[in-house]
Amino acid sequence: MTANIATNRDPAPSGNRWGLPDLGLGVGLRTQHFRHITEKRPAMDWFEILSENFIDTEGRPLDYLDRIAEHYPIAMHGVSLSVGSTDPVDFAFLDKLRALAKRVNARWLGDHICWTGVAGLNGHDLYPVPYTEEGLEHMVERVRIIQDYLERPLVLENPSTYLEFAASSMPEEEFIARLAEDADCALLLDVNNVYVTCRNHDLDPVEYLGKIPADRVVQIHLAGHTDNGTHCIDTHDGRVIDAVWDLYARFTARAGPRATLLEWDANVPKFSVLQQEVAKAARFRGAQPRRRAAA
Amino acid sequence: MQAVVMHDGGVQAGLKSPRARALVAEAARDLERVVLPSRQLSAAERLGIYSHMYYARLIEVMEGEYPTTRRILGEDAFARLCRRFVAKNPSRSRTLNTLSLKFPDFLARTLPKTRRAGLAVDVARIERAMEDVFDAPRATPMTAAQFAAVGAGPSGRAVLRVTPALRLLALRYPANEYMNALRRGENPRIPAPRKTWVIVFRRGFQVYRRDQEPAQWKLLAALAAGKSLAAAVRGALRGAAGRAGRNAAERAAKRLGAWFEEWSAAQLFVVPEGRG
Repeated sequence: MTANIATNRDPAPSGNRWGLPDLGLGVGLRTQHFRHITEKRPAMDWFEILSENFIDTEGRPLDYLDRIAEHYPIAMHGVSLSVGSTDPVDFAFLDKLRALAKRVNARWLGDHICWTGVAGLNGHDLYPVPYTEEGLEHMVERVRIIQDYLERPLVLENPSTYLEFAASSMPEEEFIARLAEDADCALLLDVNNVYVTCRNHDLDPVEYLGKIPADRVVQIHLAGHTDNGTHCIDTHDGRVIDAVWDLYARFTARAGPRATLLEWDANVPKFSVLQQEVAKAARFRGAQPRRRAAA
Repeated sequence: MQAVVMHDGGVQAGLKSPRARALVAEAARDLERVVLPSRQLSAAERLGIYSHMYYARLIEVMEGEYPTTRRILGEDAFARLCRRFVAKNPSRSRTLNTLSLKFPDFLARTLPKTRRAGLAVDVARIERAMEDVFDAPRATPMTAAQFAAVGAGPSGRAVLRVTPALRLLALRYPANEYMNALRRGENPRIPAPRKTWVIVFRRGFQVYRRDQEPAQWKLLAALAAGKSLAAAVRGALRGAAGRAGRNAAERAAKRLGAWFEEWSAAQLFVVPEGRG
């Protein structure tokens, strides 16, 4: 992990078109580690928060977040923006996201290329969209509206998908690349999701990866998953497998280093285990991991 | 897809539901013209992944919110009740904070009239209240000097503002005592019905639950409803006399100081907004 936190200044910009920084190596902020992080200030370049966990609440988690944000860069990542929905854009929700982003000085704000509900309902899951020209146009329009309102680019992630629509007229990676270009948004490349999706749909993950526009990728996710034989599920409950590290290495070799985040949301281990796991990413970023003393 | 995934009868029932058929008629007839099968899974099985995750995820959330209710009812029965509840009360929020807001009322309507069920309903009300105050807005507690000034102010008109992180519960069972016994590591029996009055509040960032005397609870409820200090005290003492005679009212009057001391220590009274 880099030595950014000693000064809490962001490092130099990485190779994306917005000049957003390569924050280094981070992990998802989990309640199990709140106390440890605030008391021990462990070595970690940055944290990603799940936005919905910190809106509509003024309790203890928000207090912990305030204290952690004083010492570590924070990026926001959500699950309810539902950019693919046919419901009207929820501007009240965007106001809450914007307020939270201001509160923690979020380096960026993102969500997923999916829908989560229609008719006012929320399935609290990341549902796939048909990859059609009509669907693309619809999503581009919504992403533009949201970005204009938030006055910053959205960082949108490729989700793991477990089904495909017969109506799709283009591959997923083409849809993503064209969405990013037409909406002028940023991308969060989840290489574990690339692996899971390609396993589930008999696709070539290396070919998929090659079509993702590198200059739009601001952040990379790494995670574990569960292989059920007939399909994989993005469970975020364990170490990153070698095949996913390989995808990470391939993309980093092509694009250069990007802010990298380890997701481990279930069966959450001790913080030191997360540190060890995310530190493996350093060998693909052209630098050896450096342990820094707590500031 | 939503109508199918959220149907509590599973994918096949969801495909046949009027809502799904109204949106995509061909899906019921030939799902694989809408959703592709994979080499190893049929279209219905692929949809089933989402359907399973929908209920599994939300039931897991509710298990975390109602651990003692779950213990009383049993894990399997609790899961079945959660599934029925979610099917009838799908989330309409961007967050999961209010998913189970109506769950205690749902249990009250749904469960049989047994002691175990009655206790479970009351425990669910306490656990729901704990979730609510955990996330409640913050407010600045009154200082001792500010509190004393209220009491010394123009008589009859002073109004105390109560923290938004407070819930008052009038229960049919000694549910809070039951929860305390579990917390002490005991294995309490299902108690007989006995009315109890409980407050659940957050002080700082810690959530507490406390039993109250009936007149004490009613006084605090009157204050929380915005009654003036004088009117709330008069009402509480009148109520005590009505329930248990003049001696009860006199005892309540003597207890007022201790009650206000307890509530002040719990930081239940807050400064009105705009005044720090």
